[in-house]
Amino acid sequence: MPTHELILLKNMSTPGYTGSLADYERAGGYQALRKVLGKIAPADVTEMVKKSGLRGRGGAGFPTGVKWEFLPKDYQGPRYLCCNADESEPGTFKDRQLMERDPHQMLEGIVITCYAIGAEIGYIYIRGEFVLGAQILERALGEARAAGYLGTNILDTGFNLDVWVHRGAGAYICGEETALLESLEGKRGLPRVKPPFPATHGLYNKPTVVNNVETLANLPHILNRGPEWFASIGSPPRSTGTRIFCVSGHVKRPGNYEVPMGITFRELIFDHAGGMRSDKPLKAIIPGGASAAFFTDQHLEVKLDFESVAQAGSMLGSGGVTVMEEGTSMVWAALRLMEFFYHESCGKCTPCREGSSWLVQTLRRIMAKRGRHEDLDTLTELCKNIVGRTICAFGDAEVAPILSTLQYWRHEYEELIEAAEAAELITPEPALARH
Amino acid sequence: MTFGEWVKTITFYEILVGMKSTLKHLINYKPVTLQYPHEKRTLPDNYRGMLALLRYDDDTEKCVGCDLCAAACPSRVIKVISSEVPGEPTKRFAKEYSMDMTRCLFCGLCVEACPVDALAMTREYEWAVYDKRELLLNKQQLLAIGDRSFQVREKRLELQHPNVAFFNVSFKELPQKPS
Amino acid sequence: MADVAIETVTLTIDGVPVTALKGTLVIEAARQMGVMIPHFCYHPKLKPDANCRMCVVEIEKVPKLQTSCSTPVAEGMVVRTATTVVNEAHKSILEFILANHPLDCPVCDQGGRCDLQDFSHESTPTTSRFVEVKRIFQKEYFSPLIETEMNRCVQCLRCVRYCDEVMDVKALAPSGRGTMTEIKHFSIHELDCEFCGGCVQICPVGAITSRLSMYEFRPWMLKRADTICTYCGDGCQITIQTKENELIEVNSSHGAGRNNGDLCPRGFFGYHVSTHPDRLQHPLIRRNGALVQTTWEEALEFIAETCLSLKLAHGPTAFAGLIASRCTNEDLYVFQKFMRLVIGTNQLDSSARYGHINGVRALLRVQGTHRWTIAFEDIVSAHALLLVGTNITETNPITGLKVKEAVKKRGAVLVTVEALQPAIGTISNITNLAAHHVTAHPERFGDAVLGLIKGVVEEGLVDPSLTQRAPEYVKAISEAVRCLPWSAIEQATGSTSSALRAAARAFADAPRAVILVGQGVLRAPGGSGVTTTLLDLLLLTGHHGRPGCGLAPLAEENNDQGAVEMGTVAEFLPGPGDLTDQAVRERIAGLWKEELPQTPGRTLMEILDDARAGTVKVLFVVGENPVGTLPHAARAKEALERLELLVCQELFLTETAALADVVLPACSYAEKSGTFTNTEGHVQSVRQAIEPVGESRPDWEILSALSVLLGYPIEYREPREILKEIRSLISGYGLLGPAPIPPRPDAAVVEGYLKKGFAEDVTSRYSLSSSTDRQAGNLTLVVAQSLFHSGKLSTRAKGLLELQKAGALALNPADATLLGIAEGDQVRLSNARGQMTTSVQVRDRVPEGQAVFPEHFDQEVRRLLSVSPDPQTGAPYFKTTQVKVEKV
Repeated sequence: MPTHELILLKNMSTPGYTGSLADYERAGGYQALRKVLGKIAPADVTEMVKKSGLRGRGGAGFPTGVKWEFLPKDYQGPRYLCCNADESEPGTFKDRQLMERDPHQMLEGIVITCYAIGAEIGYIYIRGEFVLGAQILERALGEARAAGYLGTNILDTGFNLDVWVHRGAGAYICGEETALLESLEGKRGLPRVKPPFPATHGLYNKPTVVNNVETLANLPHILNRGPEWFASIGSPPRSTGTRIFCVSGHVKRPGNYEVPMGITFRELIFDHAGGMRSDKPLKAIIPGGASAAFFTDQHLEVKLDFESVAQAGSMLGSGGVTVMEEGTSMVWAALRLMEFFYHESCGKCTPCREGSSWLVQTLRRIMAKRGRHEDLDTLTELCKNIVGRTICAFGDAEVAPILSTLQYWRHEYEELIEAAEAAELITPEPALARH
Repeated sequence: MTFGEWVKTITFYEILVGMKSTLKHLINYKPVTLQYPHEKRTLPDNYRGMLALLRYDDDTEKCVGCDLCAAACPSRVIKVISSEVPGEPTKRFAKEYSMDMTRCLFCGLCVEACPVDALAMTREYEWAVYDKRELLLNKQQLLAIGDRSFQVREKRLELQHPNVAFFNVSFKELPQKPS
Repeated sequence: MADVAIETVTLTIDGVPVTALKGTLVIEAARQMGVMIPHFCYHPKLKPDANCRMCVVEIEKVPKLQTSCSTPVAEGMVVRTATTVVNEAHKSILEFILANHPLDCPVCDQGGRCDLQDFSHESTPTTSRFVEVKRIFQKEYFSPLIETEMNRCVQCLRCVRYCDEVMDVKALAPSGRGTMTEIKHFSIHELDCEFCGGCVQICPVGAITSRLSMYEFRPWMLKRADTICTYCGDGCQITIQTKENELIEVNSSHGAGRNNGDLCPRGFFGYHVSTHPDRLQHPLIRRNGALVQTTWEEALEFIAETCLSLKLAHGPTAFAGLIASRCTNEDLYVFQKFMRLVIGTNQLDSSARYGHINGVRALLRVQGTHRWTIAFEDIVSAHALLLVGTNITETNPITGLKVKEAVKKRGAVLVTVEALQPAIGTISNITNLAAHHVTAHPERFGDAVLGLIKGVVEEGLVDPSLTQRAPEYVKAISEAVRCLPWSAIEQATGSTSSALRAAARAFADAPRAVILVGQGVLRAPGGSGVTTTLLDLLLLTGHHGRPGCGLAPLAEENNDQGAVEMGTVAEFLPGPGDLTDQAVRERIAGLWKEELPQTPGRTLMEILDDARAGTVKVLFVVGENPVGTLPHAARAKEALERLELLVCQELFLTETAALADVVLPACSYAEKSGTFTNTEGHVQSVRQAIEPVGESRPDWEILSALSVLLGYPIEYREPREILKEIRSLISGYGLLGPAPIPPRPDAAVVEGYLKKGFAEDVTSRYSLSSSTDRQAGNLTLVVAQSLFHSGKLSTRAKGLLELQKAGALALNPADATLLGIAEGDQVRLSNARGQMTTSVQVRDRVPEGQAVFPEHFDQEVRRLLSVSPDPQTGAPYFKTTQVKVEKV
């Protein structure tokens, strides 16, 4: 029951829309490209995007136009655009839908971006598991090439661009932009030390922009309808436009919901997603994908924009909203996420590599009712030792679930530990004997 | 000289005072000398006697040949030649271990230095010999001392503490070289 | 380099103002002022990776702690390295690392010199909060030399980065993810790489250790001796670590020596030669046809008596001497002085004759120097490098590293003319880095060089000032190369004319260019000619004489250069001064206070001829092994058997020593002191690491003792006294600085060469080598050096034998398929001179039509080879021949 205009999901919500080039053009696609290419100077395109207030939809929420401006202006030589389609955050599934159902919308965004930043090669780094998405993208690229939206001399403007799809090999860390670039270069997907930033030393050490699928998909609309229009949606001035939230968990109608930024969690969960699936009350919300800190039912009135969520102590992240009902064990939830992070930690830097295995083992032990009271202090301290000391943001992400559950539901941990003490099962299980 | 002093002089008072203990023992005789070979002193609990090498309860030597005892020894008593256990790759042991007990101070630093408690000080002290060379003890002799002094033996280290599961273990069950 | 402006910035570290070069990392700036910031993953040789997070520091105005290994200094930066926050961060990182690190320090070979151990002692409590289960890696195999214990690994990736960035081998990689990250070979098989030991040296913990010395020592027991490796001409500084006179291990510390701490397998694993059980421990004397043990007195007296009587009967011309270039400068000097003064003959030669003399003679002829006019630093900072016949990875690995650094880190253009082709393999292949590569036939490097010169001439790249200075020279050469048809050059080199022109252009356009000439050229027919032609190339492109440019012939043996400079080759007196130069003779005679003998010098091959003819009756051989080196066709054995007295000073009973009448046990480099002169002319100290094995004595001492018995005592108390005397002859020789000061070309000599010196052989040098087309089914057999061995000496090192036990014939896959041969098959090699069987390795790097056999295992191969001495320099050429290869 959307009460507002859909932007990104509009085409695909039209019955019979297949996502083919013909369908997209019929729906007004590639108009922005015709409007921009050769007619508006690249710098002005960047300026328009800046004015629209569009912020990155991948997780960090960095203003897109500003990111483009970081590219060295006088650099001679190739520049690259990498589209980050490695959507691996648990509870996030918006990019997948955008790519599978309306690939040309994103492609148009890519062409516009490349034009704006002066790149002649674009890469779409798509998550390895998105086999269908990759096939659809390949087909869409073929269509676009045939129609002259890609290739040499696009729309007779002298602008050349080719876009390649690169499938990942199954690593969460490759969603981190520098790890993505390493992986794209054919190396092991490990994050790079920043600085230097990709804007100056990116793919093959050339200036590179890495943008999320949803960010790019917004661009045709911004350029078609003007930055002022875009800036008026949502909760200006800092969080403009709509955002696709992937609601999952214990709700009646999980799915992708495109809403203007600034509505509250209550509206999203109860109005759009149909409320809780059973009569149990809401217990916890993960507001922005697995790497965001948990919210409780106290936070239902928090607005879904970058600032409000950050102020409330979490982050909007990738837009994956996971809802949990009363009765869910928060220790279990934290352990479940920690298991994921333990599995996905790339192992490059020490705090994250060793910390994730330590944390997960301690949580497993607490969950198995073999915890000790001092474990909770250890957990807190370990988390503090990880935050801010890693190369990429993964370290901050992996401790968020633990710290927030410890903050709001410490008693659940304590109950498990007391159960352990009652059962006197506090010794760790013996190591694998190997003799 | 006062009268009192005169009395003390003629009665040899000072000598009597000096001989008080002696005279007391004369009456109250109790021997203090231990008749050593026949009688033996009770040793204090932390007595530092002859050094010995120990074994685990499965008869394997505790010593890993780490040389730390030799490093700790102030009088260069200990000499260790370590090597890999033949046929058990990466497991280290003392191929040769000798102590020159003629030089030992029985300070116990080696025992403190030992990371695996392979060295201990027994309560043996009757080690007078006619030939000094008999005090050059090799590994077998030191193990024998340990065997006779410590009947109660520990479990292997890796079975005591799970987290030292990887401490000087062998990889003998693993393939030597994959083809 | 001088053409870069030096900018400095001033910052404050721990309250102390520091001035550092712009671009310096904070960790380095701190180290320079004496503050050691703890770190694992940082190493000055490697690009910063900042993965251990140990080196964090507080920087004012930056909210988070910063890794000092990846932060460059900035003006006005205020750095604090020891605040509570920083110390807490160090503690937490150590706690994380120690969580999974097994506390097996007592059995770990790194215990006592381990970074993790040191930092932990500094800042962590003795108990751990970690009560979980430690991670355990399964062990997959045991390498014979490099022991990996991944449970101890701190995943700093130094080894991986070293293997890639410095060595260009890329044998190691992290595998697995997160805490299960394990450093290993790419797949489950034994480590197969260059075995340079770099990973062992660079590992901050005990995760990678040397199996060769495993559990034999604890670091605090070791005595160190900084000395020089003897396995090639690079002259790497090595530190021999000994425990109670036993060789335990060899390493090289970062920043030390010309190698900057890098080693090759020979240096790192080849040290067991000195204590090999076969070492000669006592003098041997021939009695009733057999060598039996004797005393020094008896052996020396026997030699002296025989010498005196033979000298009386036949005069000093019946005497000759051969010495190996593996001896120290002091040994070499005393040897030639002994031969010249005590015996009274100039008939002496050394193993520099096998090839190095070709390079020296070419340099002397064209530019009047006997040394390189460049140093290793110039290779690193060159803009273009031309490698001709070097196979540099296998012959001079550390010079190879300098080339790799120039290409990989500084973007130099590499032009290679090699008997190799680019291919991925287990050891690095320098041609992979080349921008322009010519796969040359091993006997036709000269043709490729002519192609390059033709390219230079035709592209109009000849230095205009040279044309002005020496029009005749330029004209003669231009005409000579114009006469060479491209088609013939293309056929001879297998490269197109456009490729050769492009290579010529790349070389000529570079501001600083260096040419390296290897054994492939120096030991092949026309060696001195091709080297001279390469100098022509430098002259033509205008590089000659420019700072940082020059031609560098690579020495194969550690003291080839010293052998020349000490005057132990037939044509030179110490200096080297020409034997026939009256002024030089008078100066040396004045210093020696003795007249020099008048007889002409005789080269190695001539001495053997004389021995065969019976004119030479006594031969002193010091460490040299002509019977084991020269092919059977040289009939060295026959020559030595005819001698009346053969005296050998040797480490082992070699083929030559087995023929001797008296064998005297000599000390190896580990047991004596002295100096070696490396290929770039740097004189470096050799220091004694262990006591002499058995009754062996240094060579100079033996010669000195003999001189006393022969009635002309040349006595010294210690090697330093000999060096002092050498310095009186060659002023400033062996000033043991950190780097050599290369000589400048002698302008007068260059002028002379340009005016008329070139003309004497310009036609012969500027013609393509006569085509020796091989017959169908025949291959060109090349006897070449292998990375894992050096000469015959290293075949006694147990570590190196683990790497390469026996010789095998390396073939190109196409040839192997053609002949129906697979890896490991037995083949028979045959030609008119004989036949032999060996096994086959199929290697992509070997060009088609060639078969490469390692010279270290050439006992059988030597039967197939022919030998031809160079007409000018007398260098014997015997490294290539034609053979028929059949499967057995």
